[in-house]
Amino acid sequence: MLQSDRALRTLNVVTGLLLLAATGMVFLYAPLERTMGAVQRVFYFHVAAAWVGLAAFLVTFVVGLLYLRTGNPRWDRIGHASVEIGLVYTVMGAASGSIWARPAWNTWWTWDPRLITYTVMALIYVAYLMLRQGLEDPNRRARFAAIYGIVGFISVPITFFSIRIWRTIHPVVVGGSGDAAQGSFAMTSPMLQTMLFSVVTFTVVYICLLANRVRLEELSERVEHLKARLLSA
Amino acid sequence: MDTPDTFNYMLLGYAVLFGLPFLYVLSWWFKRRNLEKDLELLNTLKDDQKS
Repeated sequence: MLQSDRALRTLNVVTGLLLLAATGMVFLYAPLERTMGAVQRVFYFHVAAAWVGLAAFLVTFVVGLLYLRTGNPRWDRIGHASVEIGLVYTVMGAASGSIWARPAWNTWWTWDPRLITYTVMALIYVAYLMLRQGLEDPNRRARFAAIYGIVGFISVPITFFSIRIWRTIHPVVVGGSGDAAQGSFAMTSPMLQTMLFSVVTFTVVYICLLANRVRLEELSERVEHLKARLLSA
Repeated sequence: MDTPDTFNYMLLGYAVLFGLPFLYVLSWWFKRRNLEKDLELLNTLKDDQKS
């Protein structure tokens, strides 16, 4: 990850500015959607959060493979940080989706294939964090976590394609929605631009959070290492 | 068809979208502060051990 303080600070500032610009676009540039009203503005960050949540788990999958190949603890740190951040994004996606669903579907929650697969995926990654907590030996923990991150990733494409495979009321953002979809709307050009900009912004926010989280993990490891050295002396 | 008033839902949505990551980053701040304190203490102990 980013080694120099200056590079990390620059990334933090750029991320803040992008987030500000994305928020501005959501509230000032994108037009009010006529059928759903103001709540539709949640859609831009909801899609971005859900999308980046899935991408974070993809990163864990890739660095899991890299860890098993090289044994470099750096990949483990990135994998761990990515799951943690991915879960925050996933909860943001689920909660904002639920709030949007209340006026659009007239319910906070429904047993829809997308919502079920999304929840199962989130629980799989909660279990990843629990697994890490349960293992003392760092090498064993990293190896198990890498394997779990690779196997657990199967839930991500299932979640992504669930709205395309099964009959669902969840709208499909890219490509046409099915007959049962409720709450879908035709996106105008400013809406599409705002959504794409939000996705890019959230991706940068993810990279920024990842860099900071890895830095924090390195500090934590330094403390643990020093503790072990003092105890053994 | 009239546009429904869903402003409160929008507010709630953005409170969640900004509130969750804020709390998450705030937890880092506390964690970092505690780790820095630990590191300082451990370094002092290390120096004492040397002398």
